Amino acid sequence: MDWFDTHFLTCLTFAPLLIALIGAILPRKVIKYWSFFGTLAIFALSLRLLGIYDPSGPEFQLSESAEWIQGLGIQYLVGIDGISLWLILLTTFLMPIVVLSSFSAVEEREKEYYTLLVALQTGMIGAFVALDTFLFYTFWEAMLIPMYFLIGIWGGKDRIYAATKFFLYTMVGSLLMLVAIFYLASQHQVQFGHYSTSILDLYKVVLPGNGYFSAQGILFLAFALAFAIKVPLFPVHTWLPDAHVQAPTAGSVILAGVLLKMGGYGFIRFAFPLFPQAVAQYQWVFMLLGTIAIVYGAWVAMVQPDIKKLVAYSSVSHMGYVVIGLFAMNEIGATGAVYQMLNHGIATPALFLMIGMIYERRHTRDIKEFGGITKVMPLFAVFFMIATLASVALPGTNGFVGEFLILLGSWKTDPVMTIFAATGVIFGAVYMLWMFQRVMFGPIKKSENEKLTDLTFREALVLAPLMIAIFGMGVLPNIFLTKMQPSVAKFLERSTPKTVVGLNVEKR
Amino acid sequence: MELSKIVDPTLLTISAEHVAALRPYLAMFGGALIGIVFACFSLTNRKWLMAGLSIITCLVTGYYSVINMGMAKQVLFSGMMVSDGYSHFFNVLFAFIAALTIFSSFRYLDRENLHYPEYYILLLFSALGMMLLTSALDLIVLFIALEIMSLSVYVLVGFRRADRRSNEASMKYFILGAAASAILLYGSALLYGATGSLNIADIMKMATNTDHGIPMIYTIGSWLVAVGFLFKVASVPFHTWMPDVYEGAPTPITGFMTTGVKAASFATFIRILMSTGFGSEAAGLAGTQVETILWVIAVLTMFIGNVIALTQTQLKRMLAYSSIAHTGYLIVGLLAAPHTDLGYAPVVLYLVTYSIMNLGAFAILTILSGKSDTRLNLSDLSGLSQKHPWIAFALAVFFFSMAGIPPTAGFAAKYYLLYSAVQAKFIWLVVLAVLCSAISVYYYLRVLVQMYMRDPVGSENEGMTPAWSAFVVAMTVALTLQVGLLPSKMVDLSKRVVETLKQ
Repeated sequence: MDWFDTHFLTCLTFAPLLIALIGAILPRKVIKYWSFFGTLAIFALSLRLLGIYDPSGPEFQLSESAEWIQGLGIQYLVGIDGISLWLILLTTFLMPIVVLSSFSAVEEREKEYYTLLVALQTGMIGAFVALDTFLFYTFWEAMLIPMYFLIGIWGGKDRIYAATKFFLYTMVGSLLMLVAIFYLASQHQVQFGHYSTSILDLYKVVLPGNGYFSAQGILFLAFALAFAIKVPLFPVHTWLPDAHVQAPTAGSVILAGVLLKMGGYGFIRFAFPLFPQAVAQYQWVFMLLGTIAIVYGAWVAMVQPDIKKLVAYSSVSHMGYVVIGLFAMNEIGATGAVYQMLNHGIATPALFLMIGMIYERRHTRDIKEFGGITKVMPLFAVFFMIATLASVALPGTNGFVGEFLILLGSWKTDPVMTIFAATGVIFGAVYMLWMFQRVMFGPIKKSENEKLTDLTFREALVLAPLMIAIFGMGVLPNIFLTKMQPSVAKFLERSTPKTVVGLNVEKR
Repeated sequence: MELSKIVDPTLLTISAEHVAALRPYLAMFGGALIGIVFACFSLTNRKWLMAGLSIITCLVTGYYSVINMGMAKQVLFSGMMVSDGYSHFFNVLFAFIAALTIFSSFRYLDRENLHYPEYYILLLFSALGMMLLTSALDLIVLFIALEIMSLSVYVLVGFRRADRRSNEASMKYFILGAAASAILLYGSALLYGATGSLNIADIMKMATNTDHGIPMIYTIGSWLVAVGFLFKVASVPFHTWMPDVYEGAPTPITGFMTTGVKAASFATFIRILMSTGFGSEAAGLAGTQVETILWVIAVLTMFIGNVIALTQTQLKRMLAYSSIAHTGYLIVGLLAAPHTDLGYAPVVLYLVTYSIMNLGAFAILTILSGKSDTRLNLSDLSGLSQKHPWIAFALAVFFFSMAGIPPTAGFAAKYYLLYSAVQAKFIWLVVLAVLCSAISVYYYLRVLVQMYMRDPVGSENEGMTPAWSAFVVAMTVALTLQVGLLPSKMVDLSKRVVETLKQ
């Protein structure tokens, strides 16, 4: 057991890849069952993290390191803290649900589908555990490949456009981040005399940070662009509605549930602690952009005729909260932001899954086509109601805790922005409830809707864990918050500008 | 005057160590000569004999080169050639490229009814030219080696005698290549006139020792030599021959050219830059603003190569432009090298990985090309993943690698290369390079879209993939992923190899 515990993160990261590769050589008929039980086993395995993670310590835990490319100081270095712990659990929790939901939705090229889907999990967990910038970048980019194929092969009508847009947007951002990583690593070599790309070493690099276009400022912008695209933050959000609408249900769920969290996580792990002075300077810019994202996302969502697009824009709005929570730069806000990432990773996937279920029945997502669904699909209506309420942050659901903490935190930093941001809560209630009313209530206008069948047992099984999580996280937030808080405090400590006197950094 | 005073007697003898150092060249040369002898007789099953002989020749060459890589540096023929770790490292690479080209050509030649023995002989001679080129220390040897390589390739490009496009490509390549050779030769003559020596190191020494500054002839001469090489590596503005030649040449030969000719030219370029002290204070080429000009050339090459590749629908042309773009990245590496402690190692690593992935990609194109290379349009790949899943997978790996996406060799090499450029403070150049490589992602993705996201067209069964080509593809895929995941060994090797240049 000793070896297993010391290499736990490696095992957890690469187990999905192993399962995917074995799945690729199994007969076509069993692949979906294999993938389901495989991902379920990985979820069970990941629960062990709760046992072996020590919640009191703020430092990275369960670390493993090995030399990878010695000539460039690149290591295989992994470890987790209280923030990545929950994001990993979110990933492993969503995977079996996603696989199970695909049983009826995907019929062609099943083998490739499940192989890519399960292999994607390695990229996601890997990005959350990586503590070396090279390793992180590898996982971050490698994740694009399966997602690109998932959208491009099994997506809707404009899938190729959406997949290419998704890939190029992410690629442009990440490439500039790569240049910033090069610069940081070379500065580390100048200042400390040896090569390293580990973030623990890069945190120590001292860079001039006065002014918006100082070294820190520019490097921060390069990192922030990559993460802002992933979040996605206004004005670089435009890939998201296309990707969400065109992606198959599983793709949307993974995208909303995990991939968007990579952006927030990137800010926490990289952009903030590496460039504290730049963060302080650009704070107002990102507070503003986050607020615009909240309000703009909500307004645009309101007028969408397509349910999936509506939920996609609601993602823009909800992730705007994450950004202002983080840039509030205080413990309440940051805790709220992390919590909001988890909430969004539960509620939005639930909505996407249900949109997928109704799409399978009616082959349309047009709000006009529905109405009175409550009468024919009562169980579905209940589940949909819960997810909708979680999305509008009703007290008692998980959404409330996150948004409340974020607004509380940002009020301390910037009350004016917070007032505008808080209107997003109202608009959020408007578009979600209005959509719910048009789809669920009223008379059944279309005759096709009369024959709709309620959720099958499998579909209920897909949704039930999410419903439990919505209430669980809403009623008992402390289970999650206590494990998170020491790490959040440490994150803020790292991100506080250090005053350095007599700094002499080499300039060209 | 006594004869012994004119001719140094040591020149007429050759020591055992020198013979040992020359073994790879002798093996390649010997293999080619035996091939000529075989070709004279109309033996039964001649094609098997020729292919087998060529592959054995490459293996023996590679074997001796690997042994010689550990040997101490030796200057041969009173400073005309050098045998060091660097030259033997590239000898291994050229033997490898030649061997894989032969593997992927075998069934191609059958299909095109081109199974003439000359093909193999020319290929071996061209590889010999490359080997000599990277070991040359003397401008005359360098020129001869360049011509051995180029003349063989001119003929190989036109090898599909009945095909007009192939003839056109060969003609175009020959005329433009001859012009480039003439420019190179003229430059060499001017350098000789300016310094009185043909030895690269001596030229540099004399140029820097002159009290009255660097003579004008010297500047012009060194630029003309540089232009000769820029032509061979197809950097903008000397790139226009390349797409036509690549399109017209038989597909395996296109693969051979993009990898072998390019690697040889760059390897020689590095040796010249290194011995002329490029980038250092005492640079012979300094004062000619070579850095600025190469900077502009690098940007133009990356940008034009990538942008024009966007509009191509013929795969070979697309890869030709992408090859131009990769030349641009390599020039970035050349610029950075003198300013970092990584030196030329990133460029060497990039050349190796680029050769591996390009050989693989062209091996696949050879499989897919159809009769007389007519089925190489983008639309012909439609639905390939359903017809040939493994081939589609392999091609996807190569394209991801060329686009520089982890976890492939292309990413590791690009990381290393651009990292060295940032270290050398060429930050804007690197920003431009990554933006260009973002452009390139689009056209690489277009191929993936065709293979994976469109439905198959046509129902004709292309038949089995020949085992010869499958071997090449499997090997290059394995290497691409291996170098991508565990690049440490290759990084160290490239560093050690470049170290031997300095001594």
